[in-house]
Amino acid sequence: MTVKTLLLAGGTLLVSASAASASGFQVNLGGQKNIGMGGVGVALTLDQAAMFYNPGALAMVRDNGVQVGFNAALARNAFIPESGGGQSTLDNKLVTPANFYAAFGPKEGKWKIGIGAYTPFGSELHYNKNWEGRYSLTDINLRSIFAQLTASFAITPQLSVGAGLVMLAYGDVDLQKDVPLTAQTGAPTPHVTLNGKAKQSFGYNAGIYFKPSDKLSVGVSYRSQVDAKIENGDVRLRDVIYSTGGNFTATNFSATLPLPATASVGVAVMPNEKLTISADANLVFWSAYRTLDFTFSGNNGYGDRAATATTPAVVGTPGLLGGSTTSSAKRYYQDALAFRLGGQYKVTDGLTVRAGGFYDMAAVKDGYISPETPDADRIGLTAGASYEFGKRFGIDASFLFEDFLKRSQSQSDLLNNGTTDRVAGTYKTTIAVPGVGLYVKF
Amino acid sequence: MTFSPKYSLPALALLGLTLGSCQPELDDNRPTADAGQLNFSSYVAVGNSLTSGYSDGGLYNEVQAVSYPAILAQQFAKTGKGPASFVQPAFSAAKKDGSGYVKLQLVNGAAVPVQPSAANNYLGEQVAYTGTNAAFPTELEAYTGAQPDNLGVPGISVLSADKTASSTGNAVVDAQTRGAAAAYGSLNNFYQRLLPAADRTSKDYVTYIGQKTPTFFSCWMGNNDVLTYATAGGVASATNPFSGLTDTTSFGKGYRNIIAAISKNGTVKGVCANIPNVTNIPYFNTVTVTAVAAAFKAANAASPGVFITTGTATAPVIRLATSADLLTLTAQGVVATGAGSTPTNPVPNQYVLDATEITTVVNRTTQLNAIIAKTARQNKLALADMNTFFNSIASQGIVTNAVNNTATFASGNLFSLDGVHPTPRGYAVVANEFIRVINAYYGSMVPQVAPNDYRGVLFP
Repeated sequence: MTVKTLLLAGGTLLVSASAASASGFQVNLGGQKNIGMGGVGVALTLDQAAMFYNPGALAMVRDNGVQVGFNAALARNAFIPESGGGQSTLDNKLVTPANFYAAFGPKEGKWKIGIGAYTPFGSELHYNKNWEGRYSLTDINLRSIFAQLTASFAITPQLSVGAGLVMLAYGDVDLQKDVPLTAQTGAPTPHVTLNGKAKQSFGYNAGIYFKPSDKLSVGVSYRSQVDAKIENGDVRLRDVIYSTGGNFTATNFSATLPLPATASVGVAVMPNEKLTISADANLVFWSAYRTLDFTFSGNNGYGDRAATATTPAVVGTPGLLGGSTTSSAKRYYQDALAFRLGGQYKVTDGLTVRAGGFYDMAAVKDGYISPETPDADRIGLTAGASYEFGKRFGIDASFLFEDFLKRSQSQSDLLNNGTTDRVAGTYKTTIAVPGVGLYVKF
Repeated sequence: MTFSPKYSLPALALLGLTLGSCQPELDDNRPTADAGQLNFSSYVAVGNSLTSGYSDGGLYNEVQAVSYPAILAQQFAKTGKGPASFVQPAFSAAKKDGSGYVKLQLVNGAAVPVQPSAANNYLGEQVAYTGTNAAFPTELEAYTGAQPDNLGVPGISVLSADKTASSTGNAVVDAQTRGAAAAYGSLNNFYQRLLPAADRTSKDYVTYIGQKTPTFFSCWMGNNDVLTYATAGGVASATNPFSGLTDTTSFGKGYRNIIAAISKNGTVKGVCANIPNVTNIPYFNTVTVTAVAAAFKAANAASPGVFITTGTATAPVIRLATSADLLTLTAQGVVATGAGSTPTNPVPNQYVLDATEITTVVNRTTQLNAIIAKTARQNKLALADMNTFFNSIASQGIVTNAVNNTATFASGNLFSLDGVHPTPRGYAVVANEFIRVINAYYGSMVPQVAPNDYRGVLFP
């Protein structure tokens, strides 16, 4: 029996669903047809999801329509610490990013307007109970829903432009970790939860689509940064040890998380009417994410002490979490490139099949990997199919499998970078995302 | 075309679930545990309180179970060449709290370290004092098993371990000190409990450890040759021959005899650890001159500072303390009652390690460490430089999987409530340093432990 087998047998289940399909905590699940094609879309006019990939292309989408898509992201993660302990994993949890688009315009008209909703950023990970990094993070659930209002205009039959007003309609974050203090009573380890909703904020996207011939199209698009700003989030504390209460008085926190800008270019070739092949490159401006800063406030009274015969009453210092009113964690993300390639083939009038792949580079630098985003360079393979009934209704199916390259950091990396608030070891993640969509065209 | 969406969709979903439930498994590329040239089948630990697993001012089963030798034995076993069992002289279950230990208790809402004593019913601890020996009131329940593998004896020094060590050149002193070392089993309650009654007045520690036949050993001795003097504020007791700073000649002789006894004259492999600079421990850095002066100033704006007693018992010098003087953790009590606030009520000498005494202690530590290093070298033994290691901890702490551990009293996780001895977390960190040194010297691959699995101070 090998040590490995023993470790695996003894290993606890650690499960995570994490950001699927793009670097950092970006989620590139904009449209079901696109997902099947490796996530390309800047130079395509497949359906109304164009307003996500390239609002400039929307005017060239032939039909008006309404569509929805649902995905089930199943992430699996394994972690082996640099020293001590065996492999840990994540608690299996299903994450379901969805998308919705509707667009309308006059038949054969030059313009089109649309509305959409999608989830471009998110991450949910639940590490197993006693994993080595529990004092860094035990759970994260980061969610965002964007709503978009889009207008697109075809300047010529070959060239169209478009822009969208993007709103962070809903965002929330839930971060949890254990506090490294032990109670005399044997009570459970103290636990902190930071839970807050983001304020609504606005951004934009814009794009240009150019189709010089029936066999070629190109596109560029840009989506701006939107900041998820949390004010008066809740600090929830569990099992705080009485004598240490004076260091844990905060009731609220504020923090800002940048949801970075993305620039994309794409090209598509249509050698015949049935086949489309497209390639995209995305640059996500992750370098905007420098530090994650929290400011704490409020007073829960844990530090208050009643007066005694010999001592006066004490009021605890407000706004402390772990003895400090602020915390700052280095992120120092780097801009990340992704390359995507995908194709579709129209097998019959009703059936279209798709395949694709991508290579997505990590936003997190070596030695900066934190448990909330076990980022790495990743390779994705996708497949998909659509079936259309009577030129009106259709159903899309997509499947994405993503393999993160194994990534390690040592304690000396962490010491050198001043990032010892996270753990040394090796991460490995895979994600599978089956998805299904429905659409109506008119 | 028979490709029907009706069947393909569930099929795709099933594919997704199947692939999705495919848990990635990392090959454990960490080096496989390997003893290399070493044989740990009989590992023996020689040392003082640090080796015994002493913590919170006492020896008790809970922390003894995670003494650094116990952690080392557990990790050695992972190489497949480790000890099948590693015996420690535990107290019986009903007396598991041994000599009793300091606890944090809530006093007026604040956590305060409280010493166990007969007066407070030992804080409810199940202590092992026999209470039947009027001549030796601290007598502990005897350990009756076979000779343990952890031979750590709290309080023992090199000078008190060897009945031939004392070589001051003063025949009277040497005779007295050597006699005390021979009868050490009747002086030290932790050593007494290990020995059969017949041996207590005659068997010195060097003879006792010589009874073992280890295949590998660790030796961490010498701390008490400077620490006892330092923690007593640089005041040696007239009645205790082991309460001063041990001279280098006696230390060298004793240390070489200890190593010869346990290494069978250099034929057994092992690791020696040296003496950390005792002035870095929380015992000397928790009650600071600055803080006490500020407290006096707050009570009386005209307070010029903290008055301390320095010099000798016969020629005391009372002066204002500077930041170069260290106050002991135990000074807290006397300072609280006003000692130090006026020249007529200075902080007594035993609570002050003044600048001169610090220099003396640090210099002697350096000299003794040179002897330890030379002895290790001559016997081809690994040397764990705990002095450098603890200096690093004192200056920057040590981070273990996102937990910042420091030399701060209580909240730093590493030092227990006596301000001198480690917590279980501290012992795990010490064990990892031993493992690192052993692996580097002998080319073995003993795995380290995860220190976060071991607790720091317990808070009420």
